[in-house]
Order: sequence, then C-alpha cells, then structure tokens
Amino acid sequence: MKFKRLEKWRDDLNICIRCGYCYEQCHLYKVTSWETDTPRSKLILLYGMINGEIEPSEYIANKIFECFYCKRCDTNCSAGVSITEIFTDARADFIDAGFDVDGTTSKTNDDLCSRCGTCVYICKHEARSIDKENKKILIDKAKCQSCGCCEAACPSSAAYIVDGWEVSEDEMSEKVTKFLKGVVV
Amino acid sequence: MKNVDIERLKGIVGEKNIKYNEADLYIYGSDASVHQAMPSVVLKPTTIEQIQEIMRYANSELIPVIPRGAASGMTGQAVPIEGGIILDMKQMNEILEINLEDIYCRVQPGVVDDDLNKVLKSYGVFYPVAPASSRIATIGGEIANNASGVRSVKYGAVRDSVLGMKVVMANGDLLNLGAKTRVEASGYQLDRLMVGSEGTLGIVVEATLKFVPIPKFRCLGVAKFNTLDEAGNTISAIMSSGAQPSMVELMDNVAITAVNKAQNLGLPDVEAVLLFEADGMVKEAVDYEIDKIKKICEKNNGFGIELSYDAKERTRIFLGRKKLFPSLSKYKEGYACTALADDMAVPYSKMAETARKIHEIADRNNVIMSAYGHCGSGCMHTKILMNPTKKSQWNDARKAISEIYEHVQSVNGTTSAEHGIGLSKAPAFKKEKFDSLNAMRAIKKALDPNNILNPLKMQDAPDDWVTATKLRYTVES
Repeated sequence: MKFKRLEKWRDDLNICIRCGYCYEQCHLYKVTSWETDTPRSKLILLYGMINGEIEPSEYIANKIFECFYCKRCDTNCSAGVSITEIFTDARADFIDAGFDVDGTTSKTNDDLCSRCGTCVYICKHEARSIDKENKKILIDKAKCQSCGCCEAACPSSAAYIVDGWEVSEDEMSEKVTKFLKGVVV
Repeated sequence: MKNVDIERLKGIVGEKNIKYNEADLYIYGSDASVHQAMPSVVLKPTTIEQIQEIMRYANSELIPVIPRGAASGMTGQAVPIEGGIILDMKQMNEILEINLEDIYCRVQPGVVDDDLNKVLKSYGVFYPVAPASSRIATIGGEIANNASGVRSVKYGAVRDSVLGMKVVMANGDLLNLGAKTRVEASGYQLDRLMVGSEGTLGIVVEATLKFVPIPKFRCLGVAKFNTLDEAGNTISAIMSSGAQPSMVELMDNVAITAVNKAQNLGLPDVEAVLLFEADGMVKEAVDYEIDKIKKICEKNNGFGIELSYDAKERTRIFLGRKKLFPSLSKYKEGYACTALADDMAVPYSKMAETARKIHEIADRNNVIMSAYGHCGSGCMHTKILMNPTKKSQWNDARKAISEIYEHVQSVNGTTSAEHGIGLSKAPAFKKEKFDSLNAMRAIKKALDPNNILNPLKMQDAPDDWVTATKLRYTVES
C-alpha cells in the first residue's frame, strides 16, 4: 500500500505524545469503552503502518472509516495534531489501495433511492454526487463525515449510515444514560 | 511471548470483553511514554470475581498481568515488556458510595478523576489530587502512580487522599486494606504500600477516598522576573515563609517563548514568570495569603504583578501555563516533545540552581529543555525536545538525562515527583534508592512470588531505558 497522502503527516504522527486527551469526549469510545476505538489508537495504527510495523488490513481500514468528525479530539489534542485531517487523508490512501469498507460512512439503498438529489445538495462535505450516466448516487467515503444529514433529509429513506461498531441501540441508550447521570446527577 | 488460553479467558470475561487481533494488541502496547511492546491479549473485566479468576489462571500458568487505566503514564508503566495479559480497567467505573457524614467516597478503579469531581461538586466537595490528565486519568491509575497536580502544594498527592482499598493479589486473593476512618494505626499500612506500586504488587479493584470542601474564594497572581535565579529564590522564600498557597507554578523563558510562538498569547518576554494562587472559605484569609506572597515576590525583584479573583480572568491568566505542553510540541520543526526526565522533585532551596542546571545540560547535549512545573510542591517538570527519528539524539537524551539525575541526587532531590518510575526512570531510581532495592525486591517476592504482576518495572527494570523495549518512534539507523 502506498501512503501518498499520509506521508505528509509523518512529523505530526511523531509529535503525538499519546497522552490520550483526544478520547475524553470521543463518542465512539464512550459507547464501546475500547481504547481501540479512540483517536489516539487510530493514530498509533497509522504510525505503525507507514513505518512498516503492521500490515494494512480491512480491520484497520474499517477503524479509520469509523469517525463522526465531531472534532473534539482536534480541540483536546495536547500536541496540536490535526487528527481528523489525518483520518481523511488516510481514508483516501486506503481507497486508492482498493480497500472497500464502510465504517460509519453513509450509504444509499439503490432500490429505494428516487435519485432526487436532495442528499447531494444537503451534504456540506461534498461527499455525495450523482452519476448521471448510471443514474446512481456516488459517495466519496474519504469525504463523508458521518454527520447524518443525508439520512435525515432523504425523502425515500434510502440514505443511511451503517451501524458498524457492534453496539445495539439498547446498549448505546444504556451507556449514554449512565454517562449523563454521572454528569448531571 | 507466553501463549494464553483464549477460550478459557473468554469463558471468564465473555466474548465481548476480549481482544487479540494483531492491530488491537499493537495499540495496547503503547502509552504516553517512549516505550512500546505487544501484549498477548487484552481483557476488559467487569467484576472483582472475574479479576480473581484471571489472576488464579495467570498465576498457575506464569503469565504476566498488567493493569491499565487511561494509559496516560509517561514512563512505560502500562507497557507489557514481556507480553501477557493487559487488564483494561476502564469498564469498572461506578461511583459506589458518597458518604457525606463520614467524609469519604468509594469508587471502582476505572472512574475518571474529572467524572468523580463532577458528581462531588453537587455536594460542595472535591477530590483534590487534580493531575493535568484528570480529564481521562482513572482513580486506579492515579493510585498506582501516586499522582498529584497543580494544587499538591496544599492538598497533597494521592497518598494523602486514600483511606483504603480492595486489592486482588497475584494469587487471586481479595484483600481489604486501610480503613474508613481519618486515622489508622492498625499494623502495616498496606494500602499505602499499594499507592505508587505501579501494578507490581496487586490490582486495585476499589478505592476509598476522602474529599474536602470546595473553597469559596480563589485568587490567582502572576509575577514576572528578569532572572531565573530570582524566580527560583522566590519559590523558596514563599514556601519557607509559612505562607499557604494552593498553587505555585514556574515557567521559564523557553516555556514562555514556546507559548508565544505556538499560541500567540503575547506573554511578556522575560526570563521567568511565577503563577501563584491561594484559596479559602473566607476572603480575608485568601487576601492575607496573597498579600504575603506578593510582598515576597516584590522583595525578590518580581514585577508587573497581576491579581484576580474573577474565574474568567483567572482562566485567561492561566491559559499560558495550560497551553504550555502543546506549545512545546510545536517549538521546533522536526522535533518532538518526549516524556523523559519529566518530573523530578528537588528541595525548595535548590529550585533556582536546578532550573539553571537543566538548561546547561540541555545546551551541551544538543537537546532543548524547558523548566516549569508545580514548584510549590518541589516538582520541576521538564520535557526533552529532540528529533526522535535520529539515533544520535537518543544518545544525546540518554546522556542529558543521566547528568540531570546526577544533579538531582546531588542536591537531595528525587527521581519522580508524580509520574512514577516505570521503565524510563528506572536507572536513575535504582541509583537513588540503591540501599532499599533489596527490601523492595523482597516485598515483591513475598506478595508476587511468580513475578507475574507488571514484571520488569521499577527496581526490576532493565538498566538502559533506551533499549528496555522497542521505542515507539521509528529511529533511523
């Protein structure tokens, strides 16, 4: 695998001191409680990959595509690393290398889609476009930030976000309630 | 690396609480230190019984077990140097009891410091340890490292807030240590022994902590100095005057320059600044302390002194100190801020001399260092800024660190104030505590005869920290 875009972040991956402040408010981590879902862990994996210590895999690619881009990690980073920008470039490199994973990126059910283009216009990340020749909605997974606007706006309920992180709705609700109780009391 | 029985461990913690994929193990081989080593498996226990069962299995099969909190430790405490089982304790995060009548709370080890304080705040009290990492640091990890923070000058370290704890020992036995009373003289203080033991003697599975009332008034002051010596002497003068500050922080010129360069905060370009704070329930009492400290600053040529009771203004004044760490990371292109020689403590009277010495040593060893820290409690923080991809820089760092600790020991200082020993500070620690290493090893042998609890750390760590594990940085040969 070539790290065409990731390579430019080598210095930033070096200055990440792995303090862990980035995961304080990470939604994914709050739900799964696994460090492997934290921004710090994703940077560790990318660092290991560009330095040849671990092999790129579908498992790692999926981790990198799992992020809601709330960017609290960027704000909390004690070393000023542009964490989510690194994820976006890593995603593009994974796509170039032929990895086809979803993570938390949005998808379209072609059977339900009416090709109205609402999702294309509403996507502020320019991740959606219409393939006029094949009359299909195209999604640039490197750009999709899993904000959910396409899913909320789609009149045909065709746009959706894959639930790719092995947590049921009930479990998530239970964890969020527990977290909020701790904060509010 | 020792093989582990994955199916058996799944049976103990359940399918959802185990990880053994190579990528996951790679992640759990790292913390905030320069070290890295892969574990064999990661477990996320949810009950004390599960931990007891894991320990019985590990003890019979001689498999290392390394408890892990937030892994924000800077010396490699949570790095599994010989592989084995990582116990990720963050799932055990319940606040079990808040007892206002008897002034204690009982918590599970995975409770995060700030989360505990959010809850305690509604009762008008707080757990005062407050390390900089309190947003993610777990109580278990704080106990294991005897953590402290900016207000340790008044409120002490973890050891001063722990009343007791439940601990699972290497053989799986569950012990109740300490008491729920303010004082205890009932034999060996085994709870105190566990504080700062870095997971080498037992697994803390519950802690009883005391708390204190939240002060109604806080005043923060900042004083500027034209020489580092004057600032250092002021710290010594404040502390020996009988004043009771709740914070005394130093920032040297490297620190000030770094903050100005990275954050554009426009801090005054002076040789050093001191930040000082007093708190209390009565304003007059706070005024008394602040006035006393202010006069000492002035007597030692401190100038441009600003004072504020206002919370927003205090935040503004403190911003430079708060942004220091990220600023150091951006100090020089190609350089990284490494967690090395980062938290020695020296007697107050040696503060100025030590700050000066740090710069001399950094200059002659081709690295950049800054002197700052919670100087009110004797803690001098530094970080080594260097190009971590160059082999020669690791030799420079090794030499600089050795010289720094030689100085620290010559002035009766100590290797670590609040970050612990782990791997990277073990060589200096072993020199400092040379006459008690055998006693420490005897205690370890008595409590963990098979040496499975976080082995090869502290007194048992390798003599060369650079080669103790693979470095987390990729170094050019």
